[in-house]
Amino acid sequence: MENQNWQLENPWMGLGVILATFLLFYIVGFVSNRKSTSARELYVGGSNTGSFVNGLAMSATYMSLATFLGITALILRLQVPFIMLWISLILAIPLITIIYGTSLRRMGAFSPTHFIRDRYGKTASIIAALFMILVSIMYALGQMIGIAVTFETLLGIPYLTGLIVGGLIIVGYITVGGMAGATNNAAIQMVIIALMFIVPLGAIMKAVGGTGWYFPPLLYADMVPAMLESLPTFFDYQFSPKWYFSIIPSLTIGALGLPHLAMRVYTASNLKSARAAMVWFAFILGLVFSATYAMGFVGVYATATQGLVISPEDADKLTIILNLVYNPDWVTALVIAGAISAGVSTLSGNLLAIGALLSQDIVATLKPNISQRLNLRLGFVAIFLGGVVSILLAIQPPAFLVVSILWAFGLAGVTNAPLIIVGVWWKEANKFGAIAASVLGGILYIVVSPFVFPSIVLTGHAVTDGMGLSGAMLAVPVSFILLIVVSFITNRMPSLASKLTKQSDIELIERIHGWKDIKAYRYNSKLGAGITVVLSAVIAVWALMPWGM
Amino acid sequence: MEAYKKEVRFTILMTVAFILVGNVGLIFSIFPTDAVFLGYPLKYILPILMGWFGVFLLTIIAGAIGNRIDDEIEAENVLLENSRDTEEV
Repeated sequence: MENQNWQLENPWMGLGVILATFLLFYIVGFVSNRKSTSARELYVGGSNTGSFVNGLAMSATYMSLATFLGITALILRLQVPFIMLWISLILAIPLITIIYGTSLRRMGAFSPTHFIRDRYGKTASIIAALFMILVSIMYALGQMIGIAVTFETLLGIPYLTGLIVGGLIIVGYITVGGMAGATNNAAIQMVIIALMFIVPLGAIMKAVGGTGWYFPPLLYADMVPAMLESLPTFFDYQFSPKWYFSIIPSLTIGALGLPHLAMRVYTASNLKSARAAMVWFAFILGLVFSATYAMGFVGVYATATQGLVISPEDADKLTIILNLVYNPDWVTALVIAGAISAGVSTLSGNLLAIGALLSQDIVATLKPNISQRLNLRLGFVAIFLGGVVSILLAIQPPAFLVVSILWAFGLAGVTNAPLIIVGVWWKEANKFGAIAASVLGGILYIVVSPFVFPSIVLTGHAVTDGMGLSGAMLAVPVSFILLIVVSFITNRMPSLASKLTKQSDIELIERIHGWKDIKAYRYNSKLGAGITVVLSAVIAVWALMPWGM
Repeated sequence: MEAYKKEVRFTILMTVAFILVGNVGLIFSIFPTDAVFLGYPLKYILPILMGWFGVFLLTIIAGAIGNRIDDEIEAENVLLENSRDTEEV
């Protein structure tokens, strides 16, 4: 098969499916949303979502266009190491829920920066909010690239036209929607994503000779011998344990700082429901993630054994290309609808987070007397502008759409996650430590990323540096050390005592853990803080040593 | 004191358990093996299975224990309020 222009033969069919999908989203949004009358309702939908719907919505928010397009592209490039990396991403919601989600839910926070404002004060929360806006935009950028690629394949139009047309339609839809409609829609989108990914994958597996096509996520062992014969290195781990370890600070801790994910925990009706949603999330996400590894495997298998040629610039289209080659056009149209559903649900999470960050965490913090109506309007404007900025950034996209998304994980892990984790579990953490950790850690992460100073990188391996694996392995522990050490020192400086709010911090921490009294011994361990500093120092030094890549 | 200790211990142990189960690839990168399981290389399929069913099982355990600790914290709060009421009487 020759290198060619991959597009649907009958674009009208694809357009029809997409129009029908959007019609469904609008109807669900209209029926379930009525009208958002307050900022809280816009962002967390009244906090009354059931556990199954919320679990589906959490999965849809998390399972971005990367699932449809990005992961398979990087499996094509990196093979098994990328699968090992992606597996760890399932930990996001479970860890958010057990480490701080239920505490913040008990507090009534509707964004992580809301907690940072109450815990560390205005300055720290505005700094964190600015970083979170950057995180959300980088995350949204990955979705926009995917949407442009999808429209490009769908209509045979240039990438730029696809980006502007597709991007504006989706941003307009989200701006009008809000979170209540978005939660129910995200649940429906999750069902569409799962069906439109797994069923066509079964058909592709059958076409290339796989016998386990009736359960594609796990039953492709019969294709392994042929794969090993054509590509003996497919299952090789390729990189050192250090590379695999770097996944923990960059992606596992990074996911704990993602604003749009944590917000899903706050839409739960109560704590028990939030925990039940986490169980649904793990089951559904595990199913679809396993299917994406199978899709990546089949993609590599098809290129290695079936003569399928995919040029490097078409790597992000692998899933669609496999459908174009092995399935009828109408199936590919459904897959494209699934991809767009994935993009819409994640983008709505990203853009609503930007709206909440700008209107609630920055403007309402600086101008607390602003009217509810004006604040809500500001939220809508921020959502729209966030979308437009991500469209503009996607005009010159990075080589792989997943790269910008995973880089955003690392930035969230450096600038946000330590503030929340340490803030919830250690009373001594204060605003000076938080500001030092967020600003210095954030600057360090940006400096060692290849996007600003391409010559200052830790590994020299483009994808590893670009995804922020190496940068986060250095900057995340540095951020933890700064937060703990600076807090510890400044708490003991009498000249700063008047600038700290020790008593209200203590009361807040006891309250969010569910206590109605205050005990000095709770959440006050010097040993725990000391161990964290020592471990962080060891990891940071390890990150600076040669990576041998 | 008891519920607090349980809460801290539960959070640390569950976090470590989740990180291990979600990063089985790290363990195989340290201890490589050529073993085969269900027709796949073990180092490929076990991380995938643990990353799905292992994490799923842990969420069930974490949910149940988390709910129980909440109840215990609430019970200690009630005890505290009762003892305050008794003192006031």
